[in-house]
Amino acid sequence: MGAWHNADGTLDPVKVRAEYPIFKTQPGGRPLHYLDSAATGQRPQRVVDAVSKYLFTANANPHRGAYTLAQMATDGYEAARARIATYLNVPASELVMLGSATEALNLVARSWGKVNLRRGDVVLVTEAEHHANLIPWQQITREMDADLEFIPVDDITGEILWDRLDSLMKLKPKMIALGHVSNVLGSIAPLAQIAEAAHAVGALLCVDGCQAVANMPVSIPDLGADFYAFSAHKMGGLFAGGGLWARAELLEQMAPIETGGDMIHSVRLRDAEFTTGTQRFEAGTPDASGAVALAAACDLLDEFGRDKIHAHEALMIERVLRELPEVLPDARILGPRDANQRAGLVAFSSDLIHAHDLAEILDRRGVAIRAGFHCAQPLHEQLELSASARVSVAPFTTHDDLDALFAGLRDARTVFEG
Amino acid sequence: MGGMDDLYREQILEHHRRPHNQGTLATPSVSLEGRNPNCGDVINLQLQLDDAGVVTDVAFSGRGCAISQAGTSLITDELRGKRVDEILALNSPFVMELLGVEVGPTRIHCALLGLETAQKAIASLGSK
Repeated sequence: MGAWHNADGTLDPVKVRAEYPIFKTQPGGRPLHYLDSAATGQRPQRVVDAVSKYLFTANANPHRGAYTLAQMATDGYEAARARIATYLNVPASELVMLGSATEALNLVARSWGKVNLRRGDVVLVTEAEHHANLIPWQQITREMDADLEFIPVDDITGEILWDRLDSLMKLKPKMIALGHVSNVLGSIAPLAQIAEAAHAVGALLCVDGCQAVANMPVSIPDLGADFYAFSAHKMGGLFAGGGLWARAELLEQMAPIETGGDMIHSVRLRDAEFTTGTQRFEAGTPDASGAVALAAACDLLDEFGRDKIHAHEALMIERVLRELPEVLPDARILGPRDANQRAGLVAFSSDLIHAHDLAEILDRRGVAIRAGFHCAQPLHEQLELSASARVSVAPFTTHDDLDALFAGLRDARTVFEG
Repeated sequence: MGGMDDLYREQILEHHRRPHNQGTLATPSVSLEGRNPNCGDVINLQLQLDDAGVVTDVAFSGRGCAISQAGTSLITDELRGKRVDEILALNSPFVMELLGVEVGPTRIHCALLGLETAQKAIASLGSK
């Protein structure tokens, strides 16, 4: 099975850990228990090595220059795009490389929305959306005098009420935008069912894949999505990277939001013709080294095996779901109780211990979790929560990390119960 | 667990469990909602002032982390009897002294939520 697995084929997080140099450090003088991969992944050695190699051996401005080195830079960048496309099972010609998933979602809302939304048209999102897949739709529906409607959540568990989908389809939405995996609830959206419902009324489906791409197998053509956005840094790539997949004919209909060099066919003083394909949306010098980094991250995640990552993370999540109520009896777990309906994370709240206090106390054992709204404030308002605590796992998460988490939770109870 | 009680000392926990000046005023001179967007702390602070610009009464309600709620509870105790210019002159070290602990950069906005909200409320009065 290679270097990362046990004899039975399952992922061995201790072997995986060796690839992540951050664990050789001790932030604050304590071993690190990193349970915040949903915010950003840790960087593998080989990702940074790939960037060094590219910048030290093939560095020139891609898509420009007639010399050998410039061609090597272009080849390296386009090979990286092709690798990332393979990871998502889409053609490279339909993969737009951008600065972030946020940029990708803004591009869809502003470019597709500008051309396709009319007064009174409906865009449907969930009440649980990450701000990056909510605010761009607020903005464009306001601009186009269109309506924004919501797939509701359960007021107690926060679970998205997919059974409302049928009646919401009577609104004849033009676009349904939602996360593949909720970054607060951890739940995996039933995309095939949603896509079928969407397409039956002529709506398109825009999926924010940020919390899925590093945690489970993602083959975009099998999902039924029309747009799929993702970010590089959650996969172990660099910070300023992300991408957007859309079918070629949809990309052809969309006007670029950003204009400038590297996206033009020909330019005159008073006007310009834009180039075709993905490059139209990639104005300026591309982040070629970021693409190379992400391609290396894709290689590594595929070596781990995304089905095996998902299985390992489900084991970790299952333990959190099982033990959390024992250690913190008033914990209110958000999202589904079944680990198999989740990918990679669990968020919860407690009346006894505010999430921010919990994060502070856990930090004293080197346990890093996220506290706050996680860029989903409306969901928290709906649940009448001022914050939640989020534990997220990765291929390198061990039982030792979870032992430290639960020890820290007991510390926090001791402090707050007095 | 060494060092933990530096921050979560009994005084802070006591103010968190049983905050002082909880509730609302019948006829506040000014009401303001204060928010700490980083962690979602929120307070509604009300001040009653007399003609001389002295705070005669104060009340707040809110939800959030122990540091934000204890910090607000402690500062509200201090506001009563102070003139608005005295309140505007209060600063971060003053709050740290009330809390009895130096709060680190990740929590400083929680600790200062009460004071900053009071100062913004007073500033909004001045501009009326």
